[in-house]
Amino acid sequence: MASMDTQETPAQLASAASSEVIIELDKVNKWYGDFHVLKDIDLVVHKGERIVVCGPSGSGKSTLIRCINHLEEHQAGSIVVDGITLDKNLKHIDHIRTEVGMVFQSFNLFPHLSILENLTLGPIWVRKMPKAEAQETAMKYLERVKIPEQADKYPGQLSGGQQQRVAIARSLCMNPKIMLFDEPTSALDPEMIKEVLDVMVELADTGMTMVVVTHEMGFAKIVADRVIFMDEGDIVEQNEPFEFFGNPQHERTKLFLSQIL
Amino acid sequence: MAIVKAEKTPARAAPISESSLIGWMRMHLFSSTFNSILTVISLYIIYITVFGVWKWGVTDAVWVAGNRRECFNISINGACWAGVITWLDNIFYGRYPREDLWRVNLGGLLLFIWMAPLWLPRVKAKVFIGLTTVFLYPFLAGYLFAGGEKGIFMQVMITAAIVCLLGNTTHSIIGLFTGRSLPEFLIRLLGKNAASEKSQRNILLGILVLSFAVVYIWQMGWSVEVVPWTKWGGLFLTLVISGVGIASALPGGIILALGRRSKLPVVRVLSTAFIELFRSVPLITVLFMATTMFPLFMPEGFVLNKLVQVIIAVCLFNACYMAETVRAGLQAIPKGQFEGAHTIGLGYVGTMSLVVMPQALKHMIPNIVGSFIGLLKDTTLVSIIGLFDILGMLRSISRDTPWLGLHKEPLIFGAALFFLICFGMSKYSRHLEVKLSTGNKH
Ligand SMILES: Nc1ncnc2c1ncn2[C@@H]1O[C@H](COP(=O)(O)OP(=O)(O)OP(=O)(O)O)[C@@H](O)[C@H]1O
Ligand SMILES: [Mg+2]
Repeated sequence: MASMDTQETPAQLASAASSEVIIELDKVNKWYGDFHVLKDIDLVVHKGERIVVCGPSGSGKSTLIRCINHLEEHQAGSIVVDGITLDKNLKHIDHIRTEVGMVFQSFNLFPHLSILENLTLGPIWVRKMPKAEAQETAMKYLERVKIPEQADKYPGQLSGGQQQRVAIARSLCMNPKIMLFDEPTSALDPEMIKEVLDVMVELADTGMTMVVVTHEMGFAKIVADRVIFMDEGDIVEQNEPFEFFGNPQHERTKLFLSQIL
Repeated sequence: MAIVKAEKTPARAAPISESSLIGWMRMHLFSSTFNSILTVISLYIIYITVFGVWKWGVTDAVWVAGNRRECFNISINGACWAGVITWLDNIFYGRYPREDLWRVNLGGLLLFIWMAPLWLPRVKAKVFIGLTTVFLYPFLAGYLFAGGEKGIFMQVMITAAIVCLLGNTTHSIIGLFTGRSLPEFLIRLLGKNAASEKSQRNILLGILVLSFAVVYIWQMGWSVEVVPWTKWGGLFLTLVISGVGIASALPGGIILALGRRSKLPVVRVLSTAFIELFRSVPLITVLFMATTMFPLFMPEGFVLNKLVQVIIAVCLFNACYMAETVRAGLQAIPKGQFEGAHTIGLGYVGTMSLVVMPQALKHMIPNIVGSFIGLLKDTTLVSIIGLFDILGMLRSISRDTPWLGLHKEPLIFGAALFFLICFGMSKYSRHLEVKLSTGNKH
């Protein structure tokens, strides 16, 4: 989209995908009461692969990626993340959550903790890392998202774009294998979208496995190995970005792209 | 075409109503004839009341007298504070043996020393200090107040409390001057900062065990006389009951509130039933039930003294009220906070204690302090079931032969005392709220 046109290198990033499977969804189904949100979802993500999920509002995109780290429970089918099957076993859930980072539309930073404390909370309490080391790592990631000078402020004192970059750094501090993004730029003012997307492009460049729900098609074109289009709980179409945008197959994809591009 | 302002607008003086006392008065007190009349009448009413009270309570009052008759002889229209002053020890300590009053005072002083670091800047580990206040101080104070033989359990707890108190205090003093924590300081003192983390931990553990042993041996040779609970009374008793109530209300309330939100149906139903039961019964009923019915449920020969029964009743009652306060606070925390905590791998306990509760408690400070104030005042109900707390003591002045019929003065004194304590608490909570909210706007 518009904000990405200013990117100096619009060329696509080289794919980092390997043949190793890291996320595998098999006939996943989910209902909210009687409402069938996810219908027989099959999805395989390889290590290092970058996937963009798009689709109209209410199509189940958020629900899909929230199932991957079990913020939502699926009722049928199987989800295997990093070799571990998501089931009722709390140990498995906790383990998967330490391997999967997630960034939300609404940041969800902890307002009562300073930026640095937000970043070190997980490493210290979950990874049992010594405090000094955790702070060092935190500063490293704050530098990577280009706001080391904000370390001692509180989330409420930062702009939306800065908060979202802190949220990304907070996830990265846990050294995750997979990063999930749920519309990370939708709550931001246009001038802040670019700073967040830039950070995400850099992250993609490091070979991180990423599943991103977004309507930033410019970002999808540069970063994605594969674009997935969802509608009414189905994965309607998936393709590599060039084909997906240039030559959509399904009627609903065409309709959606005509509305958003 | 651009519209440009050529000159700067100079600053002018604020309207008179904003800047001077006279202006303010004209604006707020004498803005119209009718308002002026109202102001004058109100001022007059305030004047005669205040003047009357002042005359009765101060200028015409009697401060030194042997009994009520003497008071009347000196001044028939003034207050007889002499009675209150003679009874002051009773009002504060009840019938606690006079030669043992130092134990009560020492208990209070220790509490102050224990809690003082919480207000000091640069001191770390305040949560630990707070928790030990709640869980260890009561054993030490309890023994100081009650005295007698120490069982092995009491000895261990008293030792732990003393070690903790010593540790906390040195830790705070070091923290105040150097900004370091006690372990850091000890390691530096021994010149072991280069040693591995494990051996550092071992050294610290060694110091801890050693000091525990020393204190344990020391306290074995030390004991105080028994003072039966029937001799406890006055403000001391009120503060003991409400202090235990306050200290247990918050943890109990948090547990009950979490129980009520639990996913396990049994836990949820039990917590809800418990909370609703206690909340729908007046405290005085709970107190009567505790003292008359509780013994019926207890095994034969197992006798709890009345004070313990009362304290248990007060704790349960207040935990239930606190549970609802906590629940309201928890409901104000957005779902995103739970999810944010989950995604960095925190489990239920971590999410609650590190992310949710700190925020919820901060929102709840006014309500919590409100409950504490209510609790302190409600504690006076125990005088109805025959404990001589402060209210009981104040009322028994009028039955004391020299001061027969002296009702007004003691009750006014009691009211003033309660006002001081409660108003102080509420002011302090305002202060806390402001302090905690700075630099942390949402
Ligand atoms: N907790 C819930 N209870 C009931 N229905 C829900 C719940 N969460 C989501 N839904 C419904 O499930 C459907 C899919 O929701 P989801 O949030 O996954 O959509 P989405 O594709 O992310 O949409 P958007 O682009 O608006 O974020 C929607 O119709 C929504 O109303
Ligand atoms: Mg969504």
